[in-house]
Amino acid sequence: MRFLCLSCDEGMKLETAAGPQDGSLQATFICPRCHYRFRMLTNPWETQLVQTLGVKIGGRAGPANPYEQILGSLAVSQAEQSAQKAEESASSTCPFADMFGQPEETGSVEGVHWSDEARARIERIPSFIRPMVQRAIERYATEQGRRMITAAVMDEARTRLGM
Amino acid sequence: MPKAYKDLAGDGGSDVIGQVSELTARLQARMRTVRAKIAVVSGKGGVGKSALTVNLATAMALDGARIGVLDADLNGPSIAKMTGVRGQPLKITAEGVHPVQGPAALRIMSMDLLLPRDDTPVIWRAPSQAESYIWRSSMEATALREFLSDTVWGDLDVLWLDLPPGSDRIATLAGLLPGLTGMVLVTIPAEVSHLVVRKSLALARDLEVPVLGLIENMAGYYCRTCQTIGELFRSGQGAALASDFGIPYLGSLPFDPQLACSGDSGIPFVAMHQESPVGQTLQKMARQLMGEIRGQGVRNPQRGTI
Repeated sequence: MRFLCLSCDEGMKLETAAGPQDGSLQATFICPRCHYRFRMLTNPWETQLVQTLGVKIGGRAGPANPYEQILGSLAVSQAEQSAQKAEESASSTCPFADMFGQPEETGSVEGVHWSDEARARIERIPSFIRPMVQRAIERYATEQGRRMITAAVMDEARTRLGM
Repeated sequence: MPKAYKDLAGDGGSDVIGQVSELTARLQARMRTVRAKIAVVSGKGGVGKSALTVNLATAMALDGARIGVLDADLNGPSIAKMTGVRGQPLKITAEGVHPVQGPAALRIMSMDLLLPRDDTPVIWRAPSQAESYIWRSSMEATALREFLSDTVWGDLDVLWLDLPPGSDRIATLAGLLPGLTGMVLVTIPAEVSHLVVRKSLALARDLEVPVLGLIENMAGYYCRTCQTIGELFRSGQGAALASDFGIPYLGSLPFDPQLACSGDSGIPFVAMHQESPVGQTLQKMARQLMGEIRGQGVRNPQRGTI
């Protein structure tokens, strides 16, 4: 979309852009010859259209942040908002902030022990998959209220988990 | 006579074309270190696409290839669960968002990793949710582009993309990713599935997206007790379908309850059952695909050797 100054027959230039605020973008245009100015205000649908394209009115000062559109466009459901309030986790303004951070420890589940026989069996599982199998069995044992992983618990977990 | 749009140079200051070009360049730069991009497509839902994606990707990784998996099913993501990485926090650096590491060093990215809770649905912001359907398709395409371009995939031999059901997804991906190596089609031995797959194949042909092969999943039922394959659907039509379209037939897989359960355990079936008949079939398919990608194996009748 371009604007033409009818007095000068010149294409108007974008001078400033701001927003979106309350679903509206504000863009001020100026005629390079007579300096006539006007401001364009977008309605919520026009604002959405621009955002959906992943472009910024007025241009970008730098490259887009990673996942800028995904994180900026994911809405929080009403149920999610209620849950957040219940947990009083509104300390962060971003509902997805908890999803970013340091990777979780890949070690054993605390308080779960392995019998010698079970330990020997887990050691026979190829190393590329062993930590995941170990965690899956430990999770299964914890869910079952068990603290000691024996060969029998391993067999049970393998059957239940389809390993 | 007043000037028309074509008489005006530039776009007045926003440089929208420049911004779109920058986004395209960013995607191309990220994909430069990814040797092959394979989309798994079905047309119809519930045919085992995600399970096959995870297992074929794992089989390739077990052979020493560097593999990434992008769960492109934004509304029904399942790859994170199937690879046991749900709940792992993501790391952002100046380079972008780092994928989480799954079994056999798979690099995984999924919308599931961005959702705070199990029951959090994917809802896009819109002027009103009643009208959000208007924007959904565009937002999903934008999200897919960002997952591809902003994830720090690093050097990969293959990036697998698990697409949601629907023939239209092929067109979206082909538009976003012109360097798409090809797609693997998954069907089941049922005419309702073949009917939709035919549409996907016709669309792929029109869009000139290479088809690396067709897999017929759930071709029979594998009984672990008697180690035989029983009838499930009327099987054997997959090869004929592939032949009709002149595409490679990668083979069939029986329904194995253990493979189905492995999806819930987060440990890919093929990693634990390499010696089983189903495990061996999966590895054979993965090797055939790798052969196609390397140009050492099967010729793709649609486009010649890749």
